[in-house]
Amino acid sequence: MEKIIIKSFLINAFLIMTITAETNNIVEKNCLACHSQQKIPSELIYRRYLLKYSTHKNIKKRLLEYLKNPKKESSIMPKQFFLKFPQKKALDLNDTTLSTSIDAYLNYYDVKKKLVLP
Amino acid sequence: MLHSEKRSLFRFLSIYLSSTFLLFLLATFIFYNYQKHQIIDIQNSALSIEAEHITQSLRQLNQTFTETLTYPQKEPFKSAIYNLDKSYIFGSFKPENILWAEEYYQKENRLFHIHPLFPYYLGASYIVISKEINPKPIEHLLKMSILFLFIAGIFFTLLGLFLGKLFIAPMKESIEQMNKFIEDTTHEFNTPISTILTNIELIETMYNCEGKEELKRIEIASKTLSRLYEDLTYLKLNHNYHREIKSLNVSKLLEDRIEYFNTLVESKKLKVIQNIEPNIIFDIDKNDAIRLIDNILSNAIKYNKKEGELYITLSEKNLKVKNAGLGIKKEDIHLIQNRFRRANSSEGGFGIGLDIISQVVERYGFKFTIDSTYNKNTEVNIQWKK
Repeated sequence: MEKIIIKSFLINAFLIMTITAETNNIVEKNCLACHSQQKIPSELIYRRYLLKYSTHKNIKKRLLEYLKNPKKESSIMPKQFFLKFPQKKALDLNDTTLSTSIDAYLNYYDVKKKLVLP
Repeated sequence: MLHSEKRSLFRFLSIYLSSTFLLFLLATFIFYNYQKHQIIDIQNSALSIEAEHITQSLRQLNQTFTETLTYPQKEPFKSAIYNLDKSYIFGSFKPENILWAEEYYQKENRLFHIHPLFPYYLGASYIVISKEINPKPIEHLLKMSILFLFIAGIFFTLLGLFLGKLFIAPMKESIEQMNKFIEDTTHEFNTPISTILTNIELIETMYNCEGKEELKRIEIASKTLSRLYEDLTYLKLNHNYHREIKSLNVSKLLEDRIEYFNTLVESKKLKVIQNIEPNIIFDIDKNDAIRLIDNILSNAIKYNKKEGELYITLSEKNLKVKNAGLGIKKEDIHLIQNRFRRANSSEGGFGIGLDIISQVVERYGFKFTIDSTYNKNTEVNIQWKK
């Protein structure tokens, strides 16, 4: 019985680690690769989306629209932001990859993971 | 204090105190609820203030980009943040079945407040904040309300007693005057009636005079006066009279009283059919029993037709007296029964015979019924046990 519990625990831990690693890989590959290079504050953008849209579902919908057709007018960031950082170009990713990438991005910066009780 | 005075005072106090108590109870209840709401409102405002503090903390956290974000928590409050879809984000508790439509609500012993947020710091659209109700001020309020009711109760009881005595003072004076009058009158009756009856007996036994019919009429009239005297004395002394309740042979007493009414029966040429079970014995004061039997028999004879029949039945269960007389109309029977009920509540104002019967019946818990066919007969039934 104990062996079964330990086995299932290890499998679960392995799966979580695998998924987390995969998420991190997607974000690093599809998002952070450019954002880090250009020093664009990804988490700040996430927080601004959160401040305006509250739910990941709403953010994903807006992000999807923006990433397909990025414009200064439809950006969540203020106009002054583009004085310092370049305007994003439309991503050359299909809808599925884009959706997976957004999910991974939202999951990567998810505030639920950061919040702790004192 | 007379029995009727006590009863009047008791009735007045009952109505006065119960209505005053109800009024005060209602007022106290409204006051208690109003104050309780005030206390709850004060405690709710503490929730609101704490929700504002949490909002400020969330605003700061939204601009913080450290590895961990420490959720603002302060005892005795518990709070949680929810996104626009009312999905749980984080918190120091996770309440179930939140009433989203309410701004403030109470569940079991906790107060809840739903505080909306915009912009949505950390995605939070609502803060649900809660704390246990502080019962001390409410308990204090309840104690003070009960104390107020208690003090008001004592005050109004004393006031009621004072007012009651003030109100019944004229009634007491009237009753005393009436009693004095009856006492004086009846006292003046007694000696001449006794003299007449004694002298009639003497004339009957010692002299063989003519005019026996006339003598009998005088005897009947004197006995009627004598009974009236007895009835009046009974009513006058009824409340203060010391009863000697002991086993009484009612069969024997009934036979004696029938004998007493013999002159009256003979004068009306009535046929008396007796069915008296011997040795019917129960506990009753002798004077009460005499007044009850005398009044029933006297009415049965008085309202019988000449040469009519008079049935007297006594058993373990009841006393039945039936006459073949004038009878009573249906509406009049209702009147008598109503008067009897009124007599039970000592309203008075009608024949003293019925009043005496009702008082004895009430005192011993007997049951009185009257049944009559107009122009045929009337039957009075006294059941010994209810």
